[in-house]
Amino acid sequence: MTAYILNLLVLISVYAILSTTLNFIIGYAGIFSLAHAVFFGIGGYTAALVAMHVTPEFFVAVPVAMAAAAVTSLLLALPALRVRGEYFVAASLGLQVLAVTLFSEWKSFTGGLGGVIGIPAVEMFGYPVYKPWQFLLMSLICLTIIIVIIRTLVHTSFGRSLKAIRDSESAALASGKNITVIKTLSVVLSSALAAVAGALYAFYMSFINVESFMLDTSVLVMAMVIIGGTATILGPLLGAALLMLMPSALTYLTFLPQTEIGSIQQIVYGMAMVLLMIFRPGGIVSSHPGGSK
Amino acid sequence: MLFLQLLANGLQVGAIYALTAAGFSLIFGSTKIFHFAHGATFAIAAYLFHFALTGLGLHWTFAVAVSATSAVVFGVLLDRFMYAPIQRHEGSFFTVFVASFGIGIVVQNLLGSVFGRGFMSVPTPLSNSVEVIPGLYLSPLNGLAILCAIACFAALHFFLTRTFTGKGLRALSENPELVRTFGLSPRRLSTYAFALGSLLVVPGAIFTAAGTGINPAVGHHVMLISLAATIVGGIGSLRGAACAGLLIGVAENLAMWKLGTQWSEAITFAILFFFIIFKPSGFFGRATVS
Amino acid sequence: MLRKTLSSIAFAVGLASAASVQAEDIEIGAVFPLSGPNATYGDIFMSGAELAAKHVNEDGMLSGDLKILYEDSQALPQQGVVAMNKLVNVEGVPYVLSAFTGVSKAISTLAQRSETVAVNGGGVGPDLAELGEYFWNVIPLANNEVGALARYAVEDLGHKRFTLVYVDDPLGESILNELEKTLPPLGAELVESHSIAASAQQFSGVAARVRSDNPDVVYVASYGSQQLQIVKQLRDNGVKAQIVSYSAFSVPELQTQEEAQGALFTTQSIEWDSEDPVTKRFVNDYEAEHDNSPTSYIANYYNAVRVFALLAQALEEQDKEITGANLLAQRKATGTFELVGGEVSFQENGTLLAPIQVLEVDGSGSGKVVSVKTAE
Repeated sequence: MTAYILNLLVLISVYAILSTTLNFIIGYAGIFSLAHAVFFGIGGYTAALVAMHVTPEFFVAVPVAMAAAAVTSLLLALPALRVRGEYFVAASLGLQVLAVTLFSEWKSFTGGLGGVIGIPAVEMFGYPVYKPWQFLLMSLICLTIIIVIIRTLVHTSFGRSLKAIRDSESAALASGKNITVIKTLSVVLSSALAAVAGALYAFYMSFINVESFMLDTSVLVMAMVIIGGTATILGPLLGAALLMLMPSALTYLTFLPQTEIGSIQQIVYGMAMVLLMIFRPGGIVSSHPGGSK
Repeated sequence: MLFLQLLANGLQVGAIYALTAAGFSLIFGSTKIFHFAHGATFAIAAYLFHFALTGLGLHWTFAVAVSATSAVVFGVLLDRFMYAPIQRHEGSFFTVFVASFGIGIVVQNLLGSVFGRGFMSVPTPLSNSVEVIPGLYLSPLNGLAILCAIACFAALHFFLTRTFTGKGLRALSENPELVRTFGLSPRRLSTYAFALGSLLVVPGAIFTAAGTGINPAVGHHVMLISLAATIVGGIGSLRGAACAGLLIGVAENLAMWKLGTQWSEAITFAILFFFIIFKPSGFFGRATVS
Repeated sequence: MLRKTLSSIAFAVGLASAASVQAEDIEIGAVFPLSGPNATYGDIFMSGAELAAKHVNEDGMLSGDLKILYEDSQALPQQGVVAMNKLVNVEGVPYVLSAFTGVSKAISTLAQRSETVAVNGGGVGPDLAELGEYFWNVIPLANNEVGALARYAVEDLGHKRFTLVYVDDPLGESILNELEKTLPPLGAELVESHSIAASAQQFSGVAARVRSDNPDVVYVASYGSQQLQIVKQLRDNGVKAQIVSYSAFSVPELQTQEEAQGALFTTQSIEWDSEDPVTKRFVNDYEAEHDNSPTSYIANYYNAVRVFALLAQALEEQDKEITGANLLAQRKATGTFELVGGEVSFQENGTLLAPIQVLEVDGSGSGKVVSVKTAE
């Protein structure tokens, strides 16, 4: 039983990293990206390749994964951030769909639809970390560090500039902020940290394939942020825990017909999105229950 | 000859895309609501058409009526009971989007549970192709789809330019405040926009159910294309969305002339991406300040 | 005195009933797509497994009742891992039925590490043979199937020009490789191959290109609802060539699809009319219960459960505990197994070696056998 719970906790912490980093750009910068899963994927595939061909050392694989995601996001952000919010959503959607095709076709990097199998256990200074509780510890430490980074940034002038941009772009521009640079930096940072989640996921599952990095995942992470509560630290964590636990929790309700569980999960999470948006758009844990405009 | 065939296929598919894209564009342009659940409307229309025809055994005219009614009812209900409350409270663009997406997921799964998750199609001899000239196969369904699309656009144009409500809708997309001062209710116009926009998916849904076949995820794909077409065509321009829909359909098919067939979905989004980066106002849209 | 007699009688009765409840249920697991777009497969696999459990219990093969615990993978790797985790760590089963190549690959590491046997009866991707010694396959993999079909189409039917429409994943690629390898020595050729995305639903363009290839045979390598759409749209768009595929065609919706009639496909060779008692009982009971003829997927999962029962029975006779490691050792020590379809044996890598049959889709639900080819 403990192993089962540990398994769920590891997955929750991986998704918590994703939701926290996405919240950074959605909640604080007002940049709605539907492409977060792309950077999750880039992180995962890069870390897997490094681990399989160079070394499974954490402090080598993870930084390389972060760099790969950062560079890719830079290439996306520079052109796409010039346009208005709604267009960025569509551009990120386009990127997400394109990336799925790329992931499926670029077989030497991603193994195509078959995925990458046999990813070796990650090592910390040469010590292999694969026992569930050790892995959980490692993931939680990563999550904590990332939360600290984000929280610190939010409270610096960088963070204030981001909020200014979110609330009113023209005003921020008028007060002399270099919007494009700030927005680009935030996207790059968010993507690089999402790659850490990707690396952890790849090491944990020992197998990754494109199905984990599709639009459904981007939407799931976005739902975690929005349902949990944007622009808060606790919100994304709560969202991640809720949305990850729900499918498993449903399997314990044995009166539900087995064949419909998957559908019911999806219906519950869809309805949750709808109802929350109508009654509590700021999310469950939010500073403004009415949502910020 | 292959080229001609692909072009013909593209035109047929494009006609369907053009209609659904126009529906989405109408709604988004008039009400500024990012109606992601437009794909769900499509799926409902398609499934109910199939059910009415094969499950209930109705004559096809009745099946069309059932399908159309269900699409309109769904669109209007969403407007009344989901979008309106959200807009009253706070209504940021993204709140609406998330809610819309949520309802899309709910509908997709409900349809799967009720009607089955496999692939279904309406058996009809109309989908069988005939060799019109050597190497060029067209089915009556292809021709019908294109004719129907043309008829629908003609009717739409008439409605928007000649009727009072139609002109009100166009005014709404320009300036909601001004509309109020003229005594029209934006709320009621918004309902009309949803009704009309949802009605526009019905021909496409019916032709897809009869030709390609449907499964619960069919709305998803349609939605993405409609979105891409609306942006490429220019937000606020119905003509643009329609042309873009047609362009996307043709591009998807012509891409197979030279590229491998697995790239056709990517083509659509590459086009979208290109337009967003270089020409965000699309074909006919108004220039946007970034 | 009476009270003492009564209480001792009660005590004896209590003991007796406790003893009869003594035999615990023996549990194995299954990770199937019970919901989502591939749920029809889950239902099919479940029907085969359940029938096997029923027979095992009727025969009293094991010391307790065999029970199968089903978990939903939705055919997605991540869900499969969570499901497998529950079965291994919460329920503690020694043997798990698996389905779908992606899911199987994802759970294989956990199977290996926890020494739990995982058995595949549905996926045919060749990489399924490489997932470690705790991963077994009771179904011949795609490479065997393709060879048999190629030989039938070329030698028996005289076709020369082949076109392949395949999903761009390991399964599709393995079929492409096999066709490229086996056709030339037979004097035939693979004229063109067209790869499609797994999510594609529109095939009129592909059909147009297939028509321009002018082949004798079109090989469709896909699965689920997509293969139905491909077949329908190929026929709708004027492709008149012979359509062939692999065991994925054995699902009921395709067997009854109008446009698929006359198509050829391969499966593990199972003589449905065979007199051998295991097969006969399977067919009769299945038809009685489901009003439908069984297909090879159903037989495979029946066999997967039966293999467990046979191995567990042997272990119980030797007073050994039913664990994954013991099951593996017992399998290696067993020469042949009497399963539905005849006597078969496992190769070193845990895959069954079996002859392949070629069938024609005739609307009956299970197809008509037109040829049987030995495995190569």
